[in-house]
Amino acid sequence: MHLFLMIGLVAFSILAVLSRDLLKSAISLAVASVFLALVFFRMNAVYAGVFEVSVVAGLITVLFITAIALTRSDGDVTESKRHLLVFPLFFAALAVIDILVMRKLLGRIPAMVGSESGSFGQVLWNQRTFDLVGQIGVIFAGVLAVLALFRQGESKGEHHE
Amino acid sequence: MNNLWILNMGFVALLIGIGIYCLLTMKNTVKLLIGIEIIAKGVTLALISSGYARNSLMLAQALTITVIVVDVAVIATALAIIISINRHTKSLDVRKLTRLKG
Repeated sequence: MHLFLMIGLVAFSILAVLSRDLLKSAISLAVASVFLALVFFRMNAVYAGVFEVSVVAGLITVLFITAIALTRSDGDVTESKRHLLVFPLFFAALAVIDILVMRKLLGRIPAMVGSESGSFGQVLWNQRTFDLVGQIGVIFAGVLAVLALFRQGESKGEHHE
Repeated sequence: MNNLWILNMGFVALLIGIGIYCLLTMKNTVKLLIGIEIIAKGVTLALISSGYARNSLMLAQALTITVIVVDVAVIATALAIIISINRHTKSLDVRKLTRLKG
């Protein structure tokens, strides 16, 4: 089951990269996020899974689709047609190297031990307080950047008129 | 437990490889962002599977949420930049962004 979910994740990621239609790419990315969230749920990482589904599969897909709808292109971007030939070769080489390296590592990694106590909320509030402050700062910076970019576009549009 | 970690790391390497291929070869700006997104998926998977193997899943989830929030801010800003560039060039092609070229 785990392997099936992982293969689904990689397959939809490949589809997102290779698909010619941007809308199909965005939706494939959302499906890949759902597969990743299912992997998280299987590994008991419930909070990360919920965030992955709601934010990455939901919000980012909405952002992508809005951006695709707002942009207009005078003709599709011509991607080179060599991808259909080059990508399978690249992917096969990557997979072979990956399998060889992982086989060498199999059984050689010492057992990782660690333990933690407390709930998710305690860990987040007590140990990673600085991260939370940083997250709030990043969100504000992102909002201000988007506002600044759109305001600039509007004022230039008025100037031209 | 460790074998599951190694399997997960194999898939993390595949995801990051696909993302880097997308960043290196695609010409569409939205596709480049999709490549960044795929790399971010690989990173979150690495964090969670390492936390699962080390039995410190709560800390890994806290870090994953930080990564996701930063990722959303990056994607939103980059899409706003793409939209404002598209108003000027009427295209999504990175090859047409050559105004600053010396």
